Amino acid sequence: MSKKHLENAPITASQLTDEFMRLKKGSVSRRHFLGVTGLGLATAVLARFPGAQNAAAYAAGDLGTQMSIATWPNYHDPKTFENFQAATGVAVEVNVFGSNEEMLAKIQAGASGWSLFVPTNYTISTYQKLGLIEELDLSMIPNFSQESENPRFTDQGKIDGKTYALPKNWGTTGFSVNTSKIKTPMTSWKDFFEIAQTEADGRAMVHDYQLTTIGSALVALGYDFNSIKADELAKAEELLIQVKPHLFAINSDYQPSMRSTDAWMTMCWTNDGAQLNRDMPEIAYILGKDGGEIWTDYYAIPKDAPNKAAGYALLNYLMDPANAVKEHIANGAPTTDSRVIALLPAEVTGNKIVYPDEAALTPLEFGAAVTLTDPGRAELMARFKSA
Amino acid sequence: MALTQATRKKLVTLALVGPAGLWLGLFLVLPFIAMVVFSFGRRAPEGGYQAAFTFEQFANLGSRAAAFANTLMLAPVGALACLLIAYPVAYYLAVKAAPRHRLLLVSLVVVPFWTSLLVRTYAWMYLLGARGIPHLLELIGIENVRLINTPMAVLLGIVYGYLPLMIMPIYVSLEKLDRRLLEASADLGAKPVSTFFGITLPLSLPGVMTGLALVTILLLGEYLIPQLLGGGKVFFIGNALVDLFLQSRNWPFGSAIAVTLVVVVVIVLTIAMRIAWRFAGTRQVDLV
Amino acid sequence: MRALVTSVYVFLYTPIALIVLFSFNAGRNASEFTGFSTEWYGKALSNAFLMDALQNSLVVGLVSATLATLFGTMAALGLERVGPRMRAIFDALFAAAIVVPGVVIGIATLVALVQVFGIANGALAAIWPGDAPPKLALGFGSIIAAHGMFTMALVTMIVKARIASLGRDIVEASSDLYATPMTTFWQIVLPQILPSVLAGFLLAFTFSFDDFIIAFFVAGSKTTLPIYVFASIRRGVTPEINAIASMVLVASLILILSARLLMRDGRNTATT
Repeated sequence: MSKKHLENAPITASQLTDEFMRLKKGSVSRRHFLGVTGLGLATAVLARFPGAQNAAAYAAGDLGTQMSIATWPNYHDPKTFENFQAATGVAVEVNVFGSNEEMLAKIQAGASGWSLFVPTNYTISTYQKLGLIEELDLSMIPNFSQESENPRFTDQGKIDGKTYALPKNWGTTGFSVNTSKIKTPMTSWKDFFEIAQTEADGRAMVHDYQLTTIGSALVALGYDFNSIKADELAKAEELLIQVKPHLFAINSDYQPSMRSTDAWMTMCWTNDGAQLNRDMPEIAYILGKDGGEIWTDYYAIPKDAPNKAAGYALLNYLMDPANAVKEHIANGAPTTDSRVIALLPAEVTGNKIVYPDEAALTPLEFGAAVTLTDPGRAELMARFKSA
Repeated sequence: MALTQATRKKLVTLALVGPAGLWLGLFLVLPFIAMVVFSFGRRAPEGGYQAAFTFEQFANLGSRAAAFANTLMLAPVGALACLLIAYPVAYYLAVKAAPRHRLLLVSLVVVPFWTSLLVRTYAWMYLLGARGIPHLLELIGIENVRLINTPMAVLLGIVYGYLPLMIMPIYVSLEKLDRRLLEASADLGAKPVSTFFGITLPLSLPGVMTGLALVTILLLGEYLIPQLLGGGKVFFIGNALVDLFLQSRNWPFGSAIAVTLVVVVVIVLTIAMRIAWRFAGTRQVDLV
Repeated sequence: MRALVTSVYVFLYTPIALIVLFSFNAGRNASEFTGFSTEWYGKALSNAFLMDALQNSLVVGLVSATLATLFGTMAALGLERVGPRMRAIFDALFAAAIVVPGVVIGIATLVALVQVFGIANGALAAIWPGDAPPKLALGFGSIIAAHGMFTMALVTMIVKARIASLGRDIVEASSDLYATPMTTFWQIVLPQILPSVLAGFLLAFTFSFDDFIIAFFVAGSKTTLPIYVFASIRRGVTPEINAIASMVLVASLILILSARLLMRDGRNTATT
């Protein structure tokens, strides 16, 4: 981090929004953005919050012996939970889901049993509206530091000024390609769906949920990622159904198939793209230049959490930069917290899969809340799967 | 307490069948009624159920035609494939195997059925994946074979999972077969082939029909095998149902499909019974 | 024919052998064998969640199978005493319970219970004097109820078939000899139907222990062993799962073989 960034004073929310809009329009460099928004301020911030890494904050209250967390495949360092258990005596059961839609369905169908879960930005407002998550008591999470967070990624956790969710990390949805099997260079979702029917026939995977599978098909056709217009969705359905016979699988857990080379190409989240590329350098991660998704995953606590105390304790533990940095190195998803950036080795911050250039981010969009509940998209996805 | 003999007898009967009746009422009849009611409802804006009286769910059944077609094809085909493999095995066990080995051999058929289908199917995920059989094929020069996530993989999983369930009823019907009939047939100069088609096969038909009906019916509601070996591409009604409840959260439509599935099962069962009566000439087709 | 039968046995047992083999894998990957080790057995046995799931499955299996066997056997006996109309209704219900696919049972139970709980919890909250009214939720109760409903039908079918093969003369003979109904039951009927009752119990337990799809819908926050295994397949199976599967396999092997031997003895003494 350059010295120049340290001299930047913290900026207000409206300034941040402006900066963010400028970044989205591409008129500002990512380095400038990081500098201005405070993401580059790591060392200074760390100096300002000396107690942030103190792990003894959860002595108060009985935490019980067990809790469960609902999260995504390959998303945590298993050691995190072992260390948490060693520190608090609480064993953590990890439930893995394939989509936000599935998480929501599980909560809607009655007791989920989770004390902490990891919903994505576009679902928070629905959970709040349905009364399924509770406002977070930030006094229970002293390790969280609003000042070192990038509001671009924390905004969607707040509704009417109340904090319902804290950011875990952000990321993108692109696609991974095994370049030893597929030689044609690809740069867009248009390419993805074309190659899936030709060179990667029988070897391509798409996600098992509506947002990115339908969204990417829309993007490939030149429409908006979040569209709920009936005519555009009809075109996307046509494309998806045309591609379906050529697919290897419809599954959000694609790492095993990519690693065994059963699959050669897949829709892919940043963290999985980074993990695959780290272990098998021939697997490249590509962001569509025609569009795609940028997202933030949050931590939230369900209203009916059986062990709220442990849920808060684990959340606080994960917000500790010393733990968050280990999670980051293990799962490869970019952080929203400048304190964590400061602790990262250069090969992570310099990894273009994890921290892409702003030009690559410009075409991407956050998922819109309406896609989660739109019956048209839900039914399209279900029809596509059963076609 | 002056209870008459008849009242006493009635009370005992009630005590005997009452709990079962209550259980069936609460957890079979009531849920089924709830499901039928739901199937006329509407999807709530955020998913789930909203009370209504509409036929739109049933009108939309056509959008799952592929899943119904898949199931209605792969279930009987799977059952027939099971039969083709099961019959010789059952015949061997009942007729050819040495009696002192028979118990062990029959037990060995049953054992896989008593172990987790989930774990056994997982083993097939490995065997059919690139590190399994395709890897062995690569060693002998056949490259880039894809087995997993194909209808063939699902069919194989089906045969594997349900084979014991097909072997057992056929074995039982063949075991009951009076061996003296076979000997008489041979004594009268019949060739083994004509003995088989004239006596053995017809007499084992009740077992065959039981096996076919049992496996077909179970397959109509199958979820796990297509899910694990079909990669979300080979879709059964069971998968469409799970999807509607656990992804798109369309409970009314899911209920409508579930009701339809039950109707399909009843139709298939009725047809199976009719065929059984005609060919086996018996009304005794045990399903258990 | 022998070759064909042998290859069918190979087909049946290759995946099982593979499961057992990988339970001894030294690496953490369930798809590449890197060396022999028994460490995963230790890990499986000390994994609190896996043991919890196993315990849940055992509890659900034992309770549901016991209730199903008790009520199923009672129903089979009671149905001998009811009129033809009632009998036909029960026969139809039992047949329906067996024929309706598990996925439908799971969904229907979920749909009904969520509604019933919604109403009941509202009522409870209204009349409860304290601050925290008890809340009904999916869990052990709903899994046991759904499993038991189905397995009770199995038990009734099996025991009824046995009673039918017994004939009434034996009971009538006993009554003729001035035995009370209770004596007749304990000394004559029960010993005769006991093998089928045990077979029913075993089948009921195994079904419940192995069921995934019904529990998947009605388990609420509880995890059974199949649910745990299904979740593991998603997050990447470690040989822990193979170890627990191998242990369950050996346990059921012992159970089945001893049951079969017992039944054979029973049958031999019955016929000789």
